[in-house]
Amino acid sequence: MALEILLILVFGGITGIVLLLHMLGLSARATLPDGAAAAKAWADEFADDPALEVILCRDHHAALITTARGRGIVWPMGADTTARYLTGARIYPTKTGLRIDLPDFTAPHIDLRLEPDEARDWPDLMEKPA
Amino acid sequence: MTDMLSYPEVTHIAVPFFIAAILAELLWIVIKRRGGRYETRDALTSLIMGAGNVAASILLGFIAWGFFMVLWALTPLDLGTSLGVVALCFVLDDLRYYWVHRFGHRIRWVWASHVNHHSSQHYNLTTALRQTWTGTFTLMMIVRAPLVLLGFHPAMVLFCGGLNLIYQFWIHTEAIGKMPKWFEAVMNTPSHHRVHHGRNARYLDANYAGVFIIWDRMFGTFVPELEDDKVDYGLVHNLGTFNPLRVAFHEWLGIFRDVRQPGLSLRQRLMYMLAPPGWSHDGSRDTSRAIKHKHLAQNPQDAGTPGF
Repeated sequence: MALEILLILVFGGITGIVLLLHMLGLSARATLPDGAAAAKAWADEFADDPALEVILCRDHHAALITTARGRGIVWPMGADTTARYLTGARIYPTKTGLRIDLPDFTAPHIDLRLEPDEARDWPDLMEKPA
Repeated sequence: MTDMLSYPEVTHIAVPFFIAAILAELLWIVIKRRGGRYETRDALTSLIMGAGNVAASILLGFIAWGFFMVLWALTPLDLGTSLGVVALCFVLDDLRYYWVHRFGHRIRWVWASHVNHHSSQHYNLTTALRQTWTGTFTLMMIVRAPLVLLGFHPAMVLFCGGLNLIYQFWIHTEAIGKMPKWFEAVMNTPSHHRVHHGRNARYLDANYAGVFIIWDRMFGTFVPELEDDKVDYGLVHNLGTFNPLRVAFHEWLGIFRDVRQPGLSLRQRLMYMLAPPGWSHDGSRDTSRAIKHKHLAQNPQDAGTPGF
């Protein structure tokens, strides 16, 4: 197959599929219905360090987790979630909430959409010793 | 000896089919409201990884090709190009695939290349295209050397490898439950391969087959999909990024950082490259074996069941 045709197929195919997915409403972020769901999402990543305390953000897209080992965060990865400890995190306010920079190549930045009061209170909660 | 032999570049020819099949699967899921899940950014990452894989094969393919042609010049054997030889080559190359794939899960150096294929939490036809950009660096081309030395022309070996990958495309779906029993017994199927993509303790390091599931049955790595243990897709620790560059290179960087830690012996540095993923010199991480042991400690009733 000629390289030009392959390139057109690949770029056209990717663009078309992605536009279609977005128009079908398949770009929605995962939501955490309640604290138990957030604790389960945490346990999915760190099964041997269960959540002792869960603070769910008001729009149910993220949760601050306290465990025996420290504090962590659960946040949406598209329609799913992932989680990380907040060890070494740098936290910055943004127009829509908070940005967390982690020393982790596989999760370098987390953008949290939070209500203004949550954005004000969460940094202290994140840095408070567990 | 046949020096000049060419076969169609089947993985490139199959691109329109891949696109059509993805659209068909998506349509099925949207209409039927079952049979899998799609998410925009996840699918975009998978498709970019697929495009990058094609680009990498165009840019770096000459390395493996050059290696095979050197072997071809050395071997006195030439099995010819009959249909029977192509069929035999396909079966033996599938055996080769089984072992490369098994190494890909048990040797961190090879896992660094293969991990991206498992990095989606979804399991649909785009996941099939979430392929490595760094396969050449694993040097797993060596595992194909015996085929060339036995007299299978390098072009035929690569052609069969391409057919193998095309076969594996359709098994990355939740839209198909189980195939007829005879088919499930011999061939790799969506059900068998769902198990392979599972992060459940039961399903780790199982079902490495490409086309024929018989290799897993022969070498003791077969685990059936169980109705009461629904497959949870993704990595033991899922990624927190959709950035294709991070997806492609994160494990290589992890190896680099681990190997450079101060105070390690030479053996420990080598183990960080060659031991199974999750190995650590201080036992601070879990290999798949440790994960299974922990699961059994908490769920002793699972001992002796498939995967444990």
